[in-house]
Amino acid sequence: MVNFLLRRLLFMVPTVLGITFMVFMLLALAPGGIGAGLAVQGGQMSDTSKVAQMQAYLEDRYGLNDPVVVQYLRWLGRISPVKFGERDLRNASGDRVSAPREIKQPEMAWLFTPPDAPTVVFTPVSGEGQQEQQIEEFKKLQRDAEGARRAYIGSARLFKDTLADYVREAGAPWTDRLEPKGGAEPENFRDLKLDPANAKFGALHQAADDMHKKWSLAEEARQRAYIAFKAQPYPLSGYGVIPGAVYLDSPDLGVAFSKNRPVWDLISAALPVTLLINLIAFPISYLVAVPTGILAATRRGGWFDVLSGVMYLSLYSIPTVLAGVFAIGFLANKQYLGLFPVSGLHDSAASTYTFLPYWDDAGTWREGWLLDLLWHVALPVLCLVYASFAVLSKQTRAAMLENFNADYVRTAKAKGVPRNDVVMRHVFRNSLLPLITMFVGIFPAMLAGSVVIERIFTIPGMGSLIIEAIDLRDREIILANTFMIACVNLFALLLADILYAVADPRVSYE
Amino acid sequence: MSDAKTDSGAPRAISGIEVMRGVGAQQAKGFWSDAWERVLQRKGAVFGILWISVVAFFAIFAPVLASAHPVRLERLDAAGAVTAVEWPLFNNLSPTDWLLMIGFVVGVPWVLFGPKALGRSGRLGVLAVAMLQAGLTVVVAGSVVKWADGSGVEWLKQAARLQSGPWPIIGGIAALIGLVTLVVPTFNSRAPRFATVIVTAVIAATLVLASGGQKLINFERYIDDERAGKIRAVWAPIPWSPQYTRSDMSAIKPGTAVAENPKLAEFAGTKFGERRSWLGTDALGGDVLAQMMWACRLSISIGLVSTGISLLIGVTIGAIMGYFGGWIDLLLFRVVEIFMAVPVLFLLIVAAGVLPRDTYVMMAIIGCFSWTGAARFTRAEFLKLRKQDFVQAAQATGLPLRAILFRHMLPNGVTPVLVDASFAIAAAISVEATLSFLGLGPDGQASWGKLLSSATASTGTFVWWLAVFPGLAIFLSVLSYNLLGEALRDAIDPKLRKAAH
Repeated sequence: MVNFLLRRLLFMVPTVLGITFMVFMLLALAPGGIGAGLAVQGGQMSDTSKVAQMQAYLEDRYGLNDPVVVQYLRWLGRISPVKFGERDLRNASGDRVSAPREIKQPEMAWLFTPPDAPTVVFTPVSGEGQQEQQIEEFKKLQRDAEGARRAYIGSARLFKDTLADYVREAGAPWTDRLEPKGGAEPENFRDLKLDPANAKFGALHQAADDMHKKWSLAEEARQRAYIAFKAQPYPLSGYGVIPGAVYLDSPDLGVAFSKNRPVWDLISAALPVTLLINLIAFPISYLVAVPTGILAATRRGGWFDVLSGVMYLSLYSIPTVLAGVFAIGFLANKQYLGLFPVSGLHDSAASTYTFLPYWDDAGTWREGWLLDLLWHVALPVLCLVYASFAVLSKQTRAAMLENFNADYVRTAKAKGVPRNDVVMRHVFRNSLLPLITMFVGIFPAMLAGSVVIERIFTIPGMGSLIIEAIDLRDREIILANTFMIACVNLFALLLADILYAVADPRVSYE
Repeated sequence: MSDAKTDSGAPRAISGIEVMRGVGAQQAKGFWSDAWERVLQRKGAVFGILWISVVAFFAIFAPVLASAHPVRLERLDAAGAVTAVEWPLFNNLSPTDWLLMIGFVVGVPWVLFGPKALGRSGRLGVLAVAMLQAGLTVVVAGSVVKWADGSGVEWLKQAARLQSGPWPIIGGIAALIGLVTLVVPTFNSRAPRFATVIVTAVIAATLVLASGGQKLINFERYIDDERAGKIRAVWAPIPWSPQYTRSDMSAIKPGTAVAENPKLAEFAGTKFGERRSWLGTDALGGDVLAQMMWACRLSISIGLVSTGISLLIGVTIGAIMGYFGGWIDLLLFRVVEIFMAVPVLFLLIVAAGVLPRDTYVMMAIIGCFSWTGAARFTRAEFLKLRKQDFVQAAQATGLPLRAILFRHMLPNGVTPVLVDASFAIAAAISVEATLSFLGLGPDGQASWGKLLSSATASTGTFVWWLAVFPGLAIFLSVLSYNLLGEALRDAIDPKLRKAAH
């Protein structure tokens, strides 16, 4: 059993890698690429060169200017519990603080020689009783480093634009090497000789000087922040294995571009909601479908069998969106019945409710937090369960019928075991196995169904999160969601396999 | 074989020798015709076939039945005399419209009364191949011309903008696809195969050439002219097009005449004023019935094409996994597992969200993300089959792998996959509705899901006719394919059949 579990867990790793890689490539190959959402945000600014600088900065910040595979590997490095390199720190609120990132050398060093890298000697505040000052200083240095970096990236972008202008001025053979959108990639102009007669000659030099100056400043600020980081203003995060090289830490899901918040915060708020709805729906679908399946099997060909078969197949044929629209339109909308709330999980005043319902002093009924919640999730859960009735009850019926013809059932009947005992103790117990496997099929379906349902009923779960993220092209949220859903799903499948062995002593994974 | 009946019709006694000669014996029914008869015994399946036929009928004839173009238009001079006669509806049909209608008009008699020597399935096969070839030509040629027109390559642009039409491009593509179709085994002898392919290619190319690209449409012009007495028009049975939207007709109740709408009271007494929207209009003021009829095409095509793609991928990969087993199986099964790790609908939402909103893209992504079922079924069948004698005999005779897999094993192992295909079509239709509902559906295309999504507006109002009619159409289509699949499964599964006796 342990062997089997280990093997299954091991097989999960390539699966999760595969699915996240696929989604990553899908996002990268899409028109506009990963940065499409950023472009929209930058578009609100009027000055185009400012927009370009802002975009360059954001691309640098989220590492979008590297090859796609490198970006994926970096994402993987963050997700992986085994991490390499400098250990992160954790601040008081539990957020991760990483070492300041390296800054790229200024480009076109063969034409414009950059200044030597500055070496900063700096002693940060430290020592007993000085923690607060140390943290304050570190925060300030961090901000300074980020600001200087931003200025440098902006000037580097400006330099590239000036280079493009220069090349356009230089004319024919050179202009062919420009990018389709008119930008200039310095690597393509290695053999470019500067011509003082060119109208943009002065501007190019000035841009290069500006870039070098800003680079020196940024590098200086970074080193200062790095020294302060090494002094450990916060406690270290994770467990070191090889000091300075390998350590263990919890997966880092990154920061959402669109909301500037850690993805983990968003998911930890959304996942419980989705799981809640699914966990309410799950037992209901089994409790309804299994008894009808048993009943249909015991009265095979009777009216109940036929009726339940037809009804469940019809229910199964109603797409979730359709059921959702009908439920919200006819049952929840005030124009029609208006019996249920239209959206959300709680009443707006729910935080003031007590947990359980009660009659207050005036004798009026107060529904309380729990009932309010149940009232809100009633329709979503209804929309989630009905489709699984057909699958489950059909499976139960088929499994029961197969066992009804078995020899041991005839023996039991022959020796006079009461009919109910035959059905429940012998046949049903032996028909349990396929029901457990059905878990495998129903769980992903419900998880996907809840994406749609959350959208219809505006419930703040994983589904709403993912659809919002798709609209904003927020790669971090989409990837993290894929990762979480894949993990939840794979563990559910594993659980089904384990239950399989528990329910049937004949099954063993040795 | 002589007829073993007397003139009166009652069976006469036959001798032993006659029995040995086979007198009175009936030819055994083939596997598929037997299964088909069993399917037809089920009421649900018959209902499903009927509904799918209705949807298919509208998919073919919607452009003629529901159009805001007049069928026949007579231009009148001031005195009321006819100066010219036009046929705007037919002039505005796209190559696809023509192709589907020609295919129907020619195809049905061909299948029913075509050459007996081919057999019914043979005639169906020929029709399917011809339609597939022509359809591909129309679609590919249309998009290539569009692409060439906008591309940076100068000679391509010139070819696309020829005075006499972009015939070099279209002809080239028709010939290319025709050559590929020559390989498909339709007839046993060469000559008829060539003839079919060439005729199909010529028809497809002519249709694309004749259509001459998109025209600007001004539907109001007809109505204004008719009101002014400049034209006399014969309208289509449903005189609305999905593209024809009027903001002054937004969310009209079913069955209302145009003039009953206070905003359009000026049209009272005119022919336009008497028009009715039988199923109401949507928020933009487009007729629901017309949109629903045009959306039939999307519903039928998305189910068939995406399931076709998923079968192609799934059966090939499943066959390879099942036949080879071992580490190839282990490796490919990890790929299958990747797709099983996350709900397919989730992947589809992500893909549809980031990729262009196009019908063909949607078909492709549904096909590419839902092949794992077919692969698993095929794998299981092939694992059983590969140990059987006929496969080992095929291997021993040194047949190429292609022949062993697809000529010998596939026909024996394809049944469960085909049963599953019916359910897959149902799922694809439901997925299309879901994606369209989420606003991720194809742009510029009437769709039941899109109509459904406009039923609940952000303002909180609920328009019941936008939910009920498209919803019913989606439900009935999904139900039909499910009923058909259920009947097919019961007809084919020998275990269930035995249990039923």
